[in-house]
Amino acid sequence: MYSSEESLNNDYPKFAVVGHPNKGKSSIVSSLALDDSVQIGDTPGTTQVKRGFPLKVDGKVIYELFDTPGFQRARRVLSWLNDQEPVSADKKGDVVRAFIAVHRDDERFIDEIELLEPIMNGAGIIYVVDASKPYGSEYETEMEILRWCGQPSMAILNLIGEENYTEQWKSALGHYFRMVRTFNPIKATFIEHIELLDSMSQLKEEWTKPIKVAIKVLEDLQDQKIEQTVDSIVSNMVKTLSYVHRQKIVGESATTDEEEKLKLSYREKIIKFEKEQEQNIESIWNHRSIEKVENMLVLDNVGLFSKESASIFGLSQQQLIITGASAGAMGGLGIDLLLGGGSLFLGSFIGGAVGGVGAMMGFDNLYEVKVLGQSIGKRELSVGPMKNLNFPYILLGRSLYHASVIAKRSHAMRGDIDLEQEEFLTEQIIDSEMRKTLEKVHVSLRKGDEPKEEELKAYKKVLKESFLGLL
Amino acid sequence: MYKKNSKISIKSYINFSELLKEYRGTHEENRLFALKHEALLPNPKQILLAWMEKNSFRKSKKSETQTLIQKFSTLSNFIGLFSLIFGFLAGLGLLSYSGHAPVNVIYYLLFAMFIPLLSMIISMVSLLSSGTVFNAFSLFFPLHWIETVLNFFSFRDKIDVFNTLFSDELKKWMFMNRLQLFSLLFSIGLLFALLVIVVSKDVAFSWSTTLNVSNIDFFKLLACIGFPWGHTLPSAIPSVELIEMSHYYRLGENLNTQMIQNADKLGAWWKYLAMVTLFYAIFLRFLLWLATRYGFQKQLKKDFLELDGVEKLLREFNTPFVSTESPKEEKHLEIVKESDEQVAYAVAKVYETIIGWNFSKDEILLLNDAKGISSSKISTVGGNNSFSEDQKIAKEARAEVILYVKSWEPPTMDFVDFLEELLANDNVEEIQVYPLGTVGRNYESDEREVAIWKRKIQGLKSKKVWVIDV
Ligand SMILES: Nc1nc2c(ncn2[C@@H]2O[C@H](COP(=O)(O)OP(=O)(O)OP(=O)(O)O)[C@@H](O)[C@H]2O)c(=O)[nH]1
Ligand SMILES: [Mg+2]
Repeated sequence: MYSSEESLNNDYPKFAVVGHPNKGKSSIVSSLALDDSVQIGDTPGTTQVKRGFPLKVDGKVIYELFDTPGFQRARRVLSWLNDQEPVSADKKGDVVRAFIAVHRDDERFIDEIELLEPIMNGAGIIYVVDASKPYGSEYETEMEILRWCGQPSMAILNLIGEENYTEQWKSALGHYFRMVRTFNPIKATFIEHIELLDSMSQLKEEWTKPIKVAIKVLEDLQDQKIEQTVDSIVSNMVKTLSYVHRQKIVGESATTDEEEKLKLSYREKIIKFEKEQEQNIESIWNHRSIEKVENMLVLDNVGLFSKESASIFGLSQQQLIITGASAGAMGGLGIDLLLGGGSLFLGSFIGGAVGGVGAMMGFDNLYEVKVLGQSIGKRELSVGPMKNLNFPYILLGRSLYHASVIAKRSHAMRGDIDLEQEEFLTEQIIDSEMRKTLEKVHVSLRKGDEPKEEELKAYKKVLKESFLGLL
Repeated sequence: MYKKNSKISIKSYINFSELLKEYRGTHEENRLFALKHEALLPNPKQILLAWMEKNSFRKSKKSETQTLIQKFSTLSNFIGLFSLIFGFLAGLGLLSYSGHAPVNVIYYLLFAMFIPLLSMIISMVSLLSSGTVFNAFSLFFPLHWIETVLNFFSFRDKIDVFNTLFSDELKKWMFMNRLQLFSLLFSIGLLFALLVIVVSKDVAFSWSTTLNVSNIDFFKLLACIGFPWGHTLPSAIPSVELIEMSHYYRLGENLNTQMIQNADKLGAWWKYLAMVTLFYAIFLRFLLWLATRYGFQKQLKKDFLELDGVEKLLREFNTPFVSTESPKEEKHLEIVKESDEQVAYAVAKVYETIIGWNFSKDEILLLNDAKGISSSKISTVGGNNSFSEDQKIAKEARAEVILYVKSWEPPTMDFVDFLEELLANDNVEEIQVYPLGTVGRNYESDEREVAIWKRKIQGLKSKKVWVIDV
């Protein structure tokens, strides 16, 4: 492991994120470094010591970001600098170094030294201001000190509050920084992240190439995460939809009590699968300290089959029938034929003629309970795989929605995630053509067969497509 | 270090699958491992085996499956030995010649050729089939029944472990492979018996059948059977003469004198029988055994690479490990909640001194106007002021002081320094810090922002300074 102290001497781009206290320095670093362990808070002085965030590929540092404490006694620092013998511009950095050397044990300048040190070790300056608050001339002190450092620099406008003083800030910052960019660490998308890196790469000629490498690395990493997310969702789908829960029973046939208990533990198991799947997604996306407020995946009769639950994540009855028919799930019912004639009549036709369909989506046969007892002394009760036609879509919709929220979530965000969203419609994310592919797999899983490899591949592809659409 | 051509054994397969259940490593560890073993990277099997060897110490307990497998292999050996002995005994039985009835070569051919051929065909059909077809076929094999019975008695409960450990396809190959081995051993026993009898006894061979088969036809049939070695070893094909001589009419004369006279010639059959056994029962079976062994190895390797967790390992071996987090743990700042200590809930109209921190004079005047506050003495501090200017203002302040601050700019130590100078001035009786919002919001400050000021002021532990929260 490289410690950030050691790495200071190495020859890769470094950037120190500096500024006034409480302007979102840590938030910016946290979002750029995809690290949600950074302490971010209302209290000025939350960050007390500098902290390096190296981007490492197989242990090799590509660039390093530094989070620093905010300026606390900028005026004193500047007056000390101004009080020294006047020097030519190329020597000003030495004066700053002298300041650090002289005040290393001075309690008053702990923060300033922490923030100036990485800069004097060659880090580029990223000066963060809150552009939702008016500009004030007191900022000039800080910017003046940064100018003394003589390092390449840029400014980031962060909009923390509702007001907008961007123009004011831009004209002031223009005097001190060649480059001024707007970046909102909470809302920034992956593309904005990359664009900011691109700006950073222009700060110094020698940095352009390494930062381009870093951009490529991060893009690959993003692709990998997407791939892993989709894999994880698919394997959870397979696991859950094919899951058979077994339990030994005492008598010849199961008592109602035994049956109920079995159903309950089956549901609990499936809920557990979903939880594990979510944690897996969160760790793929480096969100390790998330607190969620969310409705549990409720699988009891009311929850799963209530109109609300199914309408958020499941398919409507009509879509379900079209899907089932096109995948041959209800072969022999003549629905394929009927679909050719137009789906207008579908509803009434289904209502009257096809009792079987209603039963397949029905409220009672969510799962089948079977007694297995061929071999002597080994009588078992089994439940699963899930027979309900809508269940896969509800599960899938939930997974996709959760994963997309996590994937888009900034690492600077510290609040709870609210996963209770009603606008998410699985039907719109996964069109009927896609569903055809999905349904093939669902059908085999429902039957307890292993899905064919190429079908699973197609399944993954469809999921990836819809997941990308959500990002 | 692993040799390039080391094979996967059942043992390593089980070890690996058990290790994977307990430990899969992190991406960082696995990638590091792969970089250290870069030469093995193109060969998934080899690098996985090396990974297994390195991490095998992590497996917690002695595996129960291993002992189960041991039991199976003991059972296997036992059945193997049994097959050999059984083949030998069967051979002795078939070739027992009391001196009265000669040994019917057709019986022998039945055991040394027809049955082996039939069973090989069944084996092959069942290998090429799968699932239920295979299961149906396996019912034909006595081995299936032996094992079923044994399993039922000795480790009925553990059989589940066995079942979940191996895929159906692998179990099929395993089963077929052992079946070929046992049949091979049986045939070796048979051949051995033939040789022993030929050496130790004088056997008269004959042939007889209820069917109407002429000597010539029988010769043609035998020559056809003996085709594989007919050219290289002509003496191991019975001649027409020999066939004629040994035609045995059970319903006609008994052993005729001619037959007894030619007993040594009749014994010439043994070469043919030995070659039949060697070729059909042993050589072909050996080929099939090789084929099933190959199939088994291939399946084992396939299953090995498909074990749960292998995909993750291989992916991690091959993808660079990227980390973006800080290696340094952050000492988190303890945040105390603000209380209502030192908080004033009202603003007076007149103050002895008004000081604006980071405000310009004009801004203060506007502010006074808006808030209806007045004073004879108005000063600005902070901003671009020098320290001596600020110090002078702090010294000159008197009685009640109101200190305007921008609520959104959190208090810096620079501010605290100034406040402390003000507090040091004994002429100052009370300081009220007034956090104000932006002009755009009519100086309305945010509750969160005021809370920050409260906390800071409360931290100073001075009874002279208050925060205005209206
Ligand atoms: N709404 C919103 N809040 C933000 C944004 N950036 C920062 N904040 C909030 O602003 C506060 C300060 O953020 P930090 O990142 O801790 O600021 P800092 O500059 O590191 O502060 P110190 O370490 O104390 O100097 C936190 O409450 C953040 O949640 C933003 O883009 N939008
Ligand atoms: Mg911070």
